[in-house]
Amino acid sequence: MRDARDVLIRPVISEKSVGLVEDNKYSFWVNTAANKIEIKAAVEKMFKVKVEDVRTLTVKGKEKRMGRYTGMTPDRKKAIVTLEPGNKIEGFAGL
Amino acid sequence: MAVKMEKMDKSRVLLEIRVEAEKVSAAYSRAAKQAGKEINIPGFRKGKAPKHIIERYVGKDYLKDRAMEELIKPALLNAYQETEILPVSAPTVDVVQMEEDLDLIFKATVEVKPEVELGQYTGFELEKKTAEVTDEQVEEELKRRQDRHAKLITVEDGEVLDQDIATIDYEGFIDNVPFEGGKGEDFDLTIGSGMFIPGFEDQLKGARPGQELEVNVRFPDDYQSEDLAGKDAMFKVKVKAIKRKELVPLDDEFAKDISEFDTLAELREDIKQKMLQSAELSIENEYRSEVVQKAVDKASVEIPEGMIQGRIDSMMQEMEMRLASQGIPKEYYEQYLNENEEQIRESYRVQAVEGIKTELVLEAIAKQENITASNEDVDKEIQKLAAQYGRSAEELKTALESRGELDWFKLGIVTDKTIDFLVNSSEKKDSSDQTANKEE
Repeated sequence: MRDARDVLIRPVISEKSVGLVEDNKYSFWVNTAANKIEIKAAVEKMFKVKVEDVRTLTVKGKEKRMGRYTGMTPDRKKAIVTLEPGNKIEGFAGL
Repeated sequence: MAVKMEKMDKSRVLLEIRVEAEKVSAAYSRAAKQAGKEINIPGFRKGKAPKHIIERYVGKDYLKDRAMEELIKPALLNAYQETEILPVSAPTVDVVQMEEDLDLIFKATVEVKPEVELGQYTGFELEKKTAEVTDEQVEEELKRRQDRHAKLITVEDGEVLDQDIATIDYEGFIDNVPFEGGKGEDFDLTIGSGMFIPGFEDQLKGARPGQELEVNVRFPDDYQSEDLAGKDAMFKVKVKAIKRKELVPLDDEFAKDISEFDTLAELREDIKQKMLQSAELSIENEYRSEVVQKAVDKASVEIPEGMIQGRIDSMMQEMEMRLASQGIPKEYYEQYLNENEEQIRESYRVQAVEGIKTELVLEAIAKQENITASNEDVDKEIQKLAAQYGRSAEELKTALESRGELDWFKLGIVTDKTIDFLVNSSEKKDSSDQTANKEE
C-alpha cells in the first residue's frame, strides 16, 4: 500500500471544486495509478474523516507542440470524494 | 470612530485614531473583492474566486494594506474636523493595530498651522517720506519724450557725426581671412552707442555717404568669442547712408503734437502731476510693507518644515512655469545658475519662510482684531475687479464661486484690510477703527 501522501497530490482548486464543498464533496488530483479504495483510505487517514463515496475520472493529457515536435502533457486523475454527513475538511484550499 | 489628540509641540499634533472593527472587516472584504476582480487566479473567472482563495493568493498583508488605504484617509479627515485642526502637511501615519476583525488603531503625526505669538503691532512710528518731484526730473522726462518723437532725416552731403545713424555694409578680416560673424549688410549703427567693438564707431566719424574705408580694431581680451578675443582685425566698411536725429524744439507746438495739451507749460504740469502720483504710490506701498514688516518682526512663530517645503514646491512650480513660457528648458536654467535643484530650493527657503510668516502674522492679527470680509466688501471688490476686466460683476462672482476661489478672494480682502488697520494704527490716527477705510 502506498503512503497517503503518494496518493493525494493536491486539492483541485477551481470555481467548480470550491462550489462542490457545499455538498460535502472534496476534489483532489491523485496519482493516476491509485484506485478508489486507496484514495478512500488516504483521505480518511490524512484528514481524519469518514468517506462515504469516491468517484474518479481521468483527465487526458493534451497534445502540445514545441516547434515541430509534438508531445503530450501527462494524464491526470481527479477524485471527487464525498464525506459522510457531519465530516468536513478544514482549510480545504490549503494542503 | 474615536480620536485622541495630543499636542507634541507648537506646530505638531499627534492623533490617535480608532476605527471600529465592523468598518475594518467591511473594508477588508471590499478590498478582497476588489483585488479578486483585478487579478487572474487559475481555476476561477475574474471576480469569482472566494475570499479565502484570494487571501492565499495575494497574501493577507496586501489586502490589509488596501483596506487601510481605504480607511485611513476618511478617518483622518473626520478626525481633523472633530479636533478642529488644520493640517498643513501630509500626515505621517503609524499603524498600531490592523487585523481583519479588530479595531484599526493608528497614530498620525501632522503639522498644523502654528500659533503665532504676536508682538507689538500697533503704534509704530515710522517716517513716511513725502513724494517729491524736482524740475530736473520733469525736464528729463520731457527730453525723453522729445527724443522719442525726434525725426530722422537723411544727410545727403555731410560727414558722420556723433549720434548719427550710419547704414553700413561691413566685412571683417583677421590676417586677411574673413571670419565667421564678421559680415553684415545694411546695418544701422548708431555712432556712440557702443554696440560695436571699441574704436570701430569712432573711426567711422567723418566718413561721407558712399565712401568705403578700412577700420582697424583689436578685439578686447575679454571678448565673448574666444577665437576672436585679443586679435587684430580689419573691417572693410562701406557707408551707404547717414541719418541724423533732428529734435523737435520744445514748445507749445510740440506739446500739441504729442499730447492733448495746448501749451508746453500744461504738459509740464501734467508730467509733474503724474510723476508725483506714481512717486506717492510707491512710497505708500513701501510704507505699507514696512509697517507689515515691523509687525512680522515683532511676532514669533515656529513654522513647521512641511509648510516651508510646500511653499518652496509652489515657488519652484511657478519658476518652471515662467521658464516654460519663455521656452527655456529647466536644465538650461539650472546650468546657467550653476546650481542643481536642491540648491535652488535652498535658495528659495528664506523667501518662503518670510512669506509664510507674514501670512500667518497677518492672519493672527486679523483674528485678534476681528477683521473680516463682509459680503459688501466682497461685492465692492468684485465690482472693482469686474470694471478692470470689462465684465459684469455678477458674471465674475459666479466664475469665482464655481472655481471655489471666493474664499481665497475673501482672504485677500481680509489681508488688505488688516494692512490698512496696521497702517492706520501706526500713523496714530485717533480712531483706531477696526474696519479701516480702504484707500485706493
